Amino acid sequence: MGFWWLALKDALLMGRDRKALLTLVFMPILLIGILGAAFGNMMGEEEVASIEKFQVGIVNLDEGELGNALAEEVFMKGLPELISAEAMTQKELEDRLKQQKLSVGIILPRDFSDHIIMGGESEVKVISIPSASIQSSIVENVVLQFTQSAAVNVIAMEAAGPSEMIKAIPAMSQFTDADINIVEEAAVERDQKPVGSFQYYAAGMGVMFLLMTVITGVSAMIDEKEQDVYNRLLVTKLTDFHYLIGKFIGLLFMSSIQFLIIIIGTRYLYDVRWGESMTGVILLGFSFVFSVCGLGVLLGTLVKTEKTFNAAGMLATQIMAAVGGSMVPLYIFPDWVNTVVKVLPNALALQTFLELMSGANLWQVLIEAGILVAIGLGSLLIAFVSLSAKRRAYYA
Amino acid sequence: MGVLEVKQLTKRFKDFEAVKKVSFSVQKGESFGLLGPNGAGKTTTIQMITGLFPPSSGSIEIAGIDMVRQPKRGQGLLGIVPQEIALYQTMSARENLSFWGRMYGLSGDHLQKRINDVLEIIGLADRAKEKVETFSGGMKRRVNIGAAILHNPELLIMDEPTVGIDPQSRSHILETVKKLNGEGMTVIYTSHYMEEVEYLCEKIGIMDQGEFIASGTISQLRETIGDRSRIVMNFSGAVELERIKSILTSEISEKDLLMNHNELAIFHKEPQKILSELIQSVTGAGFEIASVEIVEPNLESVFLHLTGRSLRD
Repeated sequence: MGFWWLALKDALLMGRDRKALLTLVFMPILLIGILGAAFGNMMGEEEVASIEKFQVGIVNLDEGELGNALAEEVFMKGLPELISAEAMTQKELEDRLKQQKLSVGIILPRDFSDHIIMGGESEVKVISIPSASIQSSIVENVVLQFTQSAAVNVIAMEAAGPSEMIKAIPAMSQFTDADINIVEEAAVERDQKPVGSFQYYAAGMGVMFLLMTVITGVSAMIDEKEQDVYNRLLVTKLTDFHYLIGKFIGLLFMSSIQFLIIIIGTRYLYDVRWGESMTGVILLGFSFVFSVCGLGVLLGTLVKTEKTFNAAGMLATQIMAAVGGSMVPLYIFPDWVNTVVKVLPNALALQTFLELMSGANLWQVLIEAGILVAIGLGSLLIAFVSLSAKRRAYYA
Repeated sequence: MGVLEVKQLTKRFKDFEAVKKVSFSVQKGESFGLLGPNGAGKTTTIQMITGLFPPSSGSIEIAGIDMVRQPKRGQGLLGIVPQEIALYQTMSARENLSFWGRMYGLSGDHLQKRINDVLEIIGLADRAKEKVETFSGGMKRRVNIGAAILHNPELLIMDEPTVGIDPQSRSHILETVKKLNGEGMTVIYTSHYMEEVEYLCEKIGIMDQGEFIASGTISQLRETIGDRSRIVMNFSGAVELERIKSILTSEISEKDLLMNHNELAIFHKEPQKILSELIQSVTGAGFEIASVEIVEPNLESVFLHLTGRSLRD
């Protein structure tokens, strides 16, 4: 199994190149830090950071079950990370708001439940201090979500028949459970905050430097072809197929190490959160590395001279990185551009990393990972066919 | 038994025929020299034998294996020392040997033992851990050979392995090859240094312009020039062969005269007898002699006689 040793040799040679190692490992970490800090204000991190847990005062004048459900199940128990709710009288609420000891308050009217059951509109008052507009909006949204969901449930019960209507009020406890779930889903939505600049550049620079690592590896592969070691390799027991596989594994190994360093480095140095699904991140990362290594081996097979490759390869990497969003945030491009550039593995990978950072899970990135792996496999296949054809042509 | 059988080997690159119907065989334990000037087709012949690319026509068999149909099978039996240094410069001698050994399927203790043996053979055991890039040209050449003999090949093919190295390393390499051959390893040695081929090889093939122009043992090849010595006369200025011919005695036949640039070569069985008269005739005709030398019959003379050109031209 000579290809393993070929791969190990390649990794060893790259690992010994201190200059390359410095560029490929420390440069991305450094650039992520610089760019992340420089563009911090442009990506709305401050607003995200300002939404801290806030207090809500609740005056529940409702005589029905729904008021209690909203006050106790939703505000007091349902959003513990975001809202600290407390029941109080209207007088207490007004006093505490005046003293700014409270950000937001709501007053549930006496006929709150009746209005919802009858399909009418309820007049819930939301009062806030001037600086708490965001908190006020959150509370309004929660109330709106609750009332709309409650109305839908009531209509459903009416449709089910009079007997069900009799059970309407007790059924509200079940409905409240369902409603809490909805509100809790909204809380999850809350986590889909805009991707921060450190996160963005961690993914962007990570993808770009992985491309550069592959370019470096391919450059070494072409350089080797121009030397006598290549002919010497060809006349050992190593077959063409094993040669390509060896080159591929060597590249894959080095790129994977770099990918892990970027993930771990950015996580601990800049507190970059790559997403809820670390499995998804790892799968996507390796799929991307797989695709670019496959493309790299294909390039290494097709290109004859290192000089040609170095000029064209670096230019192509920069262009791919630029249009793929590694340098300029994708947000500034129109949507159709972002869709079109997905044909580039780096753009596809970056956009999918951003989705993971926004809360996507493993299943939601499987297709993208599959496409990337397919690109890698396809490239390897073309490389093998091309190398075999080249050898046959040389024979002719 | 023939370790190598080459029959009617031809290689064409578009319109250019680099090797033309070459045939020869090498027996087990033999050392075969492939001699010829640069561009004679030696390296192309070697590359076809090693399976780097197949011939346009003809056949190659190594220990009965058809190299055109099954190159990978045959390559396992070959040890190849390429003309250039084919090593990884930033790896140590030991690491290089280890890598190339694995490419030939060696592993484990056997590989380690072979690496140690080879390091002793090439005289670099004490510098095994040093990177190849720090070695002199001669030392690199020795590692280059070491990488080819790790797997004890049936046939060791060396393509001009002493190009551009110091006399000490050259001597060491020649001794090493002689020793390996003495121990039973079959060797093909290509060179344009006839003295190396004469020293190492019992059978020789001489190539020129893609063809085998002569082959046989050294004594058989000498026979082609009638075992005659060569008077080599260098002139200070340009000389026309026709004018030289007109002043030489009838003892020297025209076909024994060769003019190459300012150098006149005369083949003769008893050069001492004619030398003084020859010098007098030439200087008397107004030619200015820069140097005169009598060369004993050798492969250079054979090549010169057959082609009219020097091996180093």
